[in-house]
Amino acid sequence: MKITIDGKKIEVEGKRTVLEVAREKGIYIPSLCDHPRLAPFGGCRLCIVEIKEKGGFPPSCSTFVENGMEIKTKTPRLQKLRREILELILSEHPNACLICSEKEKCDEYKSTIRKVGEVTGCVLCSNNGRCELQDVVETLKIDKVRFPSVYRNLEVKKGDPFFDRDYNLCILCGRCVRVCQELRGAAAVSFVYRGSQAVVGTVLDLPLIESGCQFCGACLDICPTGSLAERGIRYEDLPDERVKTICPLCSMGCELKIDLKKKKILSSKPSDEGAVNQGQACVKGRFLIKDLIQSPRRIIKPLFRMNKELEETSWEEALDFVAQRLRKFKGKEIALVASPQVSCEEYFLLHKFASEELKTENVDSSYRFSPLAVIDEMAQENGLELDLNFELKDISRAKALFLIGEDIPKSHPIIWLEVLKAVQRGAKLMVASPAELSLNRYSSLWLKIKPGTEFYFLSFLSKLFLQNEQEANHPRIEGFDSFKSSLGEFDLSQVFEMTGITREGLEEAFGLLSEAEDAAFLFGMGLTQYPWGTRNVAALWNLALQAQAQLFPLGLENNLRGVFEIGQNSSGQGLNFNQIFQAALSGDLKALYLAGPAPYLKKANLEFLVIQDSFVNENFKLADAVLPASTFAETDGTFINGEGRVQKFNKIIDPLGDAKPDWWIISQLARRMGNRGFPFKNPPEITKELIKTIPGFSNISCAELGKGQKVFIQEKAKKERSFIPVKYMDINYKKSKKYPFLLSLDYSLDYYRSLVLSQESKGMKAIRDSRWIKISSEDAEKLNLEEGESIVIESSSGKFKGFVKILESLPDGILRASFLLSEDADFSVNGLIPSGFQESHSLGMLPVKIKREK
Amino acid sequence: MEKIMSESNSVQRELIHLLHDVQNKFGYIPAQSISQISRELKVSESEIFGVLTFYKAFTLKPRGKHLITICMGTACHVRGAPMILDEFERKLGIEAGETTEDNLFTLETVNCVGACALGPIAIADGDYHGQMKTREVGEIIKKLKQEKGKSIE
Ligand code: SF4
Ligand code: SF4
Ligand code: SF4
Ligand code: FES
Ligand code: FES
Repeated sequence: MKITIDGKKIEVEGKRTVLEVAREKGIYIPSLCDHPRLAPFGGCRLCIVEIKEKGGFPPSCSTFVENGMEIKTKTPRLQKLRREILELILSEHPNACLICSEKEKCDEYKSTIRKVGEVTGCVLCSNNGRCELQDVVETLKIDKVRFPSVYRNLEVKKGDPFFDRDYNLCILCGRCVRVCQELRGAAAVSFVYRGSQAVVGTVLDLPLIESGCQFCGACLDICPTGSLAERGIRYEDLPDERVKTICPLCSMGCELKIDLKKKKILSSKPSDEGAVNQGQACVKGRFLIKDLIQSPRRIIKPLFRMNKELEETSWEEALDFVAQRLRKFKGKEIALVASPQVSCEEYFLLHKFASEELKTENVDSSYRFSPLAVIDEMAQENGLELDLNFELKDISRAKALFLIGEDIPKSHPIIWLEVLKAVQRGAKLMVASPAELSLNRYSSLWLKIKPGTEFYFLSFLSKLFLQNEQEANHPRIEGFDSFKSSLGEFDLSQVFEMTGITREGLEEAFGLLSEAEDAAFLFGMGLTQYPWGTRNVAALWNLALQAQAQLFPLGLENNLRGVFEIGQNSSGQGLNFNQIFQAALSGDLKALYLAGPAPYLKKANLEFLVIQDSFVNENFKLADAVLPASTFAETDGTFINGEGRVQKFNKIIDPLGDAKPDWWIISQLARRMGNRGFPFKNPPEITKELIKTIPGFSNISCAELGKGQKVFIQEKAKKERSFIPVKYMDINYKKSKKYPFLLSLDYSLDYYRSLVLSQESKGMKAIRDSRWIKISSEDAEKLNLEEGESIVIESSSGKFKGFVKILESLPDGILRASFLLSEDADFSVNGLIPSGFQESHSLGMLPVKIKREK
Repeated sequence: MEKIMSESNSVQRELIHLLHDVQNKFGYIPAQSISQISRELKVSESEIFGVLTFYKAFTLKPRGKHLITICMGTACHVRGAPMILDEFERKLGIEAGETTEDNLFTLETVNCVGACALGPIAIADGDYHGQMKTREVGEIIKKLKQEKGKSIE
């Protein structure tokens, strides 16, 4: 297509709006309601243009380009109309400052007068200086408003975590409503009331927290005015620097842009250029980065225990002390626990240090809880090879999606956005979960499954596929016959009794999966966390082969894939994560190097304990030395996200106090212990060694990484896939009179190193407190428990304290709590789990009882 | 895209339909019904609220058998509407926006009904009463009570 805009000839391809094309060519058309990431809306009318042979003034944001169009964007008539429209908008927006002739000079005086409740002009607004409305007023050169001004005098909404909403500044452009609905799938806000009362609001004007808001902050970042204001920086000046890094708080690794003022972090926002997140993030990346880096619980001085107490010391002394003591322990006597949240470089060095200096194979990290580790274990048991790499767009391309074992808008927000895209494109979503999830609104089928019976359900579904073989059109691949006969024991008439899912439900599930060409199976901890987790995954694997679906293990920590790749390079002979803690309790272990989160070790029998961490935690009471590690923000490195994408992150501030990056600490220690293999002066030097040593990294070039190009970890060529015969088993939970409830645990990702986010941030606590004990509304009523009441849960091996959270759709008799490795002993479910965990990944279901706090 | 549009339109229609049913059955939209509708139609609660506050036909509070509306527009206001309102409030024992316990009367205010010359104005079940005096208040209430109750739309 050929068109002209303001006389300029332009070639256009595809279905594009006039505004899009103009923007791309650098032709400025004022606009307020349009946003490149949202569907056209046509609300503000500022973007009007003239098109030859078309009457009126069509809005360019919702007019599609046609061949031969001659478009004008700046005629005097248009400018006059636009000014009028803008004046109308301004008549309902505090405008004194916008049109003030002194506004340039005002800057010098205004800094102190911001701290007023009511925003009656730009000088009082937190958006001043970064406001799109200001920009448009500036370009259209508005100096008066000829309509009577109204201040709507709406109450400013301050009852929610993280941000305030002042709709007196709102111009009703609808961007927040649309981003919340179209991109986030939350639809927490909507236009409510009508005519002159129309405003953006929530159901029954409730706080956002009761309206399904995810607190992702997308509305805040897309609002062209100051209506939505982040509380933490309301009164801060503009940043003087903006840098980019990668969020370390889940397996996606969103690219974040961090605003700095005098080298201090003001705020973090999703980066529009982020390959993974494309302008989106979640509550953690958007609102908590600053809190965690600048937490008062940061350790900023090395500590050691020369006498009775932990005392501050210098790095020299601390390193000498640790190096000297560590020399005494070798091999089986010592173990090292690393965090899956450190960079590949650091994890690599921790491993190298353990094997070369501590001469031990007892190195592990908490990654064994992850679906990734469980599917890997399953694959090894059955001689399979896995494809772990994927791309997010594989998910949004799927025609049918099956989600089991995770509440992804909370746990994997970015994956959720892809699922939402697929659904918006017409894909069918099927969810298997015991309790109702907010995303069920988007599902075609919700299978309310009895917790713990996933294995049966999946096998029943496989059986149904076999029975309908013609429709199912099975691939005849290896293992098919033995798989088929292994399903013999499943009697389809028992499906409801055994799983809580009706026969019709099962048939519907079959219909949904067998029709779709491209299916995606996403599975999380809810499937893998049982002692029989590998069997669950095997059942899902078979079903995926039958439905020709791609499997997506929902990763956990940010660098799990990196940890996994590097860990595979070692022999795997040593103690694993749980065994290490068991050995610490039994006294088999004499010394422990903790460079990652761990349960409280009060009962441990250790001669020497070193903690290398960024935050104060309970284990300090037992530590002989504490080495203050800096956070991800204070060094460079690479993370590998859930897709297998290698992402470089950058140092954005200097380490706080005397804290040092993990790679530095380990290198210094190794050198002090006489090892010459740690000459590294900066992370890139370690990256080079990593590339040489670890096979999965061998194709990576540092140059590409530095430029932010798409780099994936390398996978081995795979052999053909095959079915796995299922092993029937009886699943029994030992509920008893004494312990009438079953506690199911969610492994929580709301932590960074040993900092529990909900205990650090009030806002996070309001959204999802790690100390909530979820209970069904019926059980709560029976026991007369009220929301927020503090209660104690007791199992045969311990107790913990928490607060009642009523979850209407939870099955009766089931409790839920989150599992965090490093919580205070009192509040941690760790104590409930009988002597470590029976199997490496099992959080299972624990028989418990509830006691009231007196 | 077109598919989404047509789908969302049909959902919208279904939503309005359902809201009508609820309104007819209960005489208002009970707050709990919003979450039920949300489950049923798979539309968020805030979206439903947006739709139901857009149409005047839906109300969130139960309405009594008889609806009394007092104009509080500027003209009526200066001509003594507040006194009329006070009197209704006193006689009915409720405040503007509320409904009596026996569910007989609902008292509401509006801003200008376009008959300023006749102010102050009270509208009882659709009948306009112009140039209201406080002493007429009792009469209106009595008359409404006697009527077996024209139902309100
Ligand atoms: S924070 Fe996110 S979920 Fe909440 S209203 Fe804004 S866009 Fe919607
Ligand atoms: S709050 Fe902001 S984004 Fe939302 S409608 Fe108002 S001006 Fe637009
Ligand atoms: S926690 Fe995950 S989804 Fe949230 S901002 Fe960080 S990387 Fe993105
Ligand atoms: S930008 Fe086109 S109408 Fe608002
Ligand atoms: S002010 Fe009452 S009718 Fe206009």
